[in-house]
Amino acid sequence: MPTGTTPAIEMIQVAKSFGDTEVLQPLSIAVAPGEFMILLGPSGCGKSTILKMIAGLEDLSDGEIYVDGKLVNYVRPKERNVAMVFQNYALYPHMTVRDNIAFPLRQLKRPRLSRSEINQRVLSAAEIVTLSDLLDRRPAQLSGGQRQRVALARAIVRQPAVFLMDEPLSNLDALLRAEMRTSLLEMHNRVGRATVYVTHDQIEAMTMADRIVVLEGGRLQQVGTPHDLYDAPANTFVARFIGSPQMLLLAAEVGPALDVEFEGVRLLPDCTDGLQAGRPATIGLRPTGLRVVDDGSPGHLSGTVRRRDYLGSDCFVEVELDRGRSVQARADPARDRPPGDTVALAIGGEAAHLFDDRGVRVAGLCPVVP
Amino acid sequence: MAIALIPFLYVISTALKDTNSLFSYPPDWIPSPIYWGNLRSLLQDQPFVRWTINTLFVSGAVTILKIWFDSAAAYALAKMDFYGKRSLALILLLSVAIPIAALIIPLFFVVRYLGLLNTYWALILPPLANPLGIFMARSFITAIPDSLPASARLDGASEFTIYRKIVLPLIRPGIVVLGMFTFMLQYTSFIWPLIAVQDSSRQVLTVGISSLKSAFLPDWGLLSAAMLLAAVPITLVFLAVQKTFVVNDLSGALRE
Repeated sequence: MPTGTTPAIEMIQVAKSFGDTEVLQPLSIAVAPGEFMILLGPSGCGKSTILKMIAGLEDLSDGEIYVDGKLVNYVRPKERNVAMVFQNYALYPHMTVRDNIAFPLRQLKRPRLSRSEINQRVLSAAEIVTLSDLLDRRPAQLSGGQRQRVALARAIVRQPAVFLMDEPLSNLDALLRAEMRTSLLEMHNRVGRATVYVTHDQIEAMTMADRIVVLEGGRLQQVGTPHDLYDAPANTFVARFIGSPQMLLLAAEVGPALDVEFEGVRLLPDCTDGLQAGRPATIGLRPTGLRVVDDGSPGHLSGTVRRRDYLGSDCFVEVELDRGRSVQARADPARDRPPGDTVALAIGGEAAHLFDDRGVRVAGLCPVVP
Repeated sequence: MAIALIPFLYVISTALKDTNSLFSYPPDWIPSPIYWGNLRSLLQDQPFVRWTINTLFVSGAVTILKIWFDSAAAYALAKMDFYGKRSLALILLLSVAIPIAALIIPLFFVVRYLGLLNTYWALILPPLANPLGIFMARSFITAIPDSLPASARLDGASEFTIYRKIVLPLIRPGIVVLGMFTFMLQYTSFIWPLIAVQDSSRQVLTVGISSLKSAFLPDWGLLSAAMLLAAVPITLVFLAVQKTFVVNDLSGALRE
């Protein structure tokens, strides 16, 4: 174990296989006390498996997991001091909300809690998730959001060291989801325990996480803050997975001066370590960093507007560049850019990235003004 | 419907006729006058009440024990992980295919060896070994999402608590079906009770009624009255539990 502050969860070279199928390649992650960490990735990337392994519902094939500094590989789920909110709520339908929340407390043997103590803790947990007046209802009499809050209260009431949440908002409508995101973060701040949260929704991840773990095909892609992932994606997978609209990836070749050329514009990397002239590479362009400007000048791209997506506060246009390739770019929503308009595109400071032939990010790119 | 009802109505009609009008031609469907002698003779001259009590006791005991054991075994097979689970399930499944006729002789020797012949235990214990109920219960338990027991495990519940407090209440309708099935099977069972118990005071209805039939001159009125009265308890049990024949109610447990 590392010295200093003990992580709430530490996974060291944890791997999982089902028979010959490796579903999770060895990975090491540490979650700091009070941190809100999100496991993000497409379906089947192994994020729920990680959660189940931390909870003890799934055995590890290799590696070690520590919860609150204690090795828990061979510790039963109930003794790991973790609480989990399941993807499908997993409420006990034959019990009232009160009994659902009280269930974990009634299982405590040493020390056994008195009835009044259980009642008090149930009320306190229900208050945190604003369920106090629904305690005598059954889950079937509640809305989706209320059921989700019962599941949260059942997790809170045990006062565990760690919360595990498996896509808890994935089936709520957009409005309720935004509301629940706020409630969840408020609850997290109030309770102050480390939380590991699984989602495949990058917006959820970007808006809620202190740090995000990006996974793909059972392999760790990147760990970092939402800013790290957006501004410096570790590879082309993260680059495309994070950000909306998606980053545009274009094949290129490293030039003799260790620069790359795109549609007649020279782009210079801010770091040349490991770059070799003549090697294939990939340029990544974030549509949010490509800005439509009126007048073209050296270092700008030019093309014709093909489609316009007006989003109210924002506007994106699809521009067919002079050499035939199409890119998306951000435009001023107040200015009308009808299809057929000829426009110039300025490449912003954080908009362009260079990836090597393995798809690993090498540097940021800046346009060179001749 | 009519085809199903006609034999039943004929038994009722026969039970309420005296021997003379029984063989009249053309037959009278509605006895006139109604003859209560068969029922009276059955209740007064034969140990019919004793047989009924024995049957209800044995069937009830087998049903309660089977519900308990079968659902517990089914929970283990459906929701727990342990070494040899698949092999065990396969062995149980194969044992369902063994016909009762092939088991009777070895079973008789085992029961005799244990000194249980002519006891209620001889009627109660052997049916408990029939694994069919385990598979019935397993199909109900499999319908419960894995996240419910998993959640309860994380909440600190033991496997027994999960089985008793989460699983059993959720499969109540299935348990009623299993109970009804077991009760009816036991209520109508004949071959094994005939072999295992010779003492008339411990005999069950099926064996008792068959003993009413003399070899040369069957008293059809008496036999019909016995069959009619024997059908009453099981009909009442069926009517009492029929409202619970609904699918597992998991509403509210999961998101919809």
